[in-house]
Amino acid sequence: MVADKAGPAGPTGLIGAGGLPDWGVGIGWRPEIAGYIDGLPGLKFVEVVAEAIDEHLPIPAALKALRDRGVAVVPHGTRLSIGGADPIEPDRLRQFVAAAHRLEAPLASEHIAFVRAGGVEAGHLLPLPRTREAVDAVVANTRLVQQELDIPFALEPIAAIFDWPEDELTEGQFISEILERTGALLLLDVANVYANAINRGEPPSGLFDAVPLDRVAYVHVAGGSMHEGVYHDTHTDPVPPEVFDLVEALCDRHRPPALMLERDGHYPPAGQLTVELDGIATASGYPPVTPAGP
Amino acid sequence: MSLAARQAELVAALTAGAPVPAGMDPVRLGIAARALLYKRAGEVARRWPLLAAGLGPDWHRVFAEWAGARPTAGSLRDGWDLARELQGRAALPEIAERELALVEARWRYDGRTPPRPRRLGIRRVADGRLLTISGRVMVIGRSDSL
Repeated sequence: MVADKAGPAGPTGLIGAGGLPDWGVGIGWRPEIAGYIDGLPGLKFVEVVAEAIDEHLPIPAALKALRDRGVAVVPHGTRLSIGGADPIEPDRLRQFVAAAHRLEAPLASEHIAFVRAGGVEAGHLLPLPRTREAVDAVVANTRLVQQELDIPFALEPIAAIFDWPEDELTEGQFISEILERTGALLLLDVANVYANAINRGEPPSGLFDAVPLDRVAYVHVAGGSMHEGVYHDTHTDPVPPEVFDLVEALCDRHRPPALMLERDGHYPPAGQLTVELDGIATASGYPPVTPAGP
Repeated sequence: MSLAARQAELVAALTAGAPVPAGMDPVRLGIAARALLYKRAGEVARRWPLLAAGLGPDWHRVFAEWAGARPTAGSLRDGWDLARELQGRAALPEIAERELALVEARWRYDGRTPPRPRRLGIRRVADGRLLTISGRVMVIGRSDSL
């Protein structure tokens, strides 16, 4: 039933996690690079920030054109605050679900994080303490989303600049327990895995052995940079070679059905986006989605 | 302490200059707070391009000084509140004056609750007047400057 909504199956026709097709290489759709994305002949999926789909406005024409040519569009929430101690605000949940319906999305995603507390907006995704109490909060809010959503839902562990003193579980245990209790899929951000490993002084590929890789719905690949001795997952810098190496290491263990480039500002010339998309294709073994070179 | 209380403590420390919650690394929280301000400045600059451009190389410093102990109210209101404050002390760059006037002509904002579209209004700007009818803004007088 899910496959019916998912648009064309991937090049191999394989079905990945949650019955989703094998989409290969995709990209985060942003208005600033809509023209570039429109010119990607092999593209089978894009992700769009869910809150950018304004319920009072038409879907952006360039995004609708992609949808009409069979490219799957995955809404990616950033403001539900799944890890907040309080239940998700009903209006935000309603808008999230409405965006998924309007986009005829085969899949939707959000973060394992909180973005507000005590009535104050943090303005960014904040890490949770890895405690049983936080697992319970994530599980309760994920179930609220799943009750309203008739498509698979994937959760993304975030990049953390700091940790909480009350941590009881390893990151692998924390993620695995949430997935097991909710049945949610995993949106694995390889750049976040890299950032956390650098900032905690741990080996980056360690997490790959600690989470269920067969539950990965898709993968984020993004750039970042070092400031004040800390690696920041900026999405506005080039993807470092170490992150491409991690993509390869992940695919050697278990190749996910889809991987995408995430860029959120300081947009580079088209050539640089092409290099990074082709880099993901090379590291994963999926076919390139960019136009063939001269 | 409950998860809700700990989360509220952390958000207050990162956005409103509240004390570092017990047991947390003050150095890392400081880095996180500066990263948050930098990201927020970028979002406000996208919504208020002439405010940021008018301040030029001072933009990030001016924004960080203003926003350091103020949680965000969204980029529209953050930029609006900052522009009004700068205007109040005659520190708003000229191109940002025009941007503010145009936004004030289209929306009604009391500084405390979300802005609402203005149906009808007229506002004086340096070189003419802005007339708002049913949400559309027209310039009366010299029209080559907006």
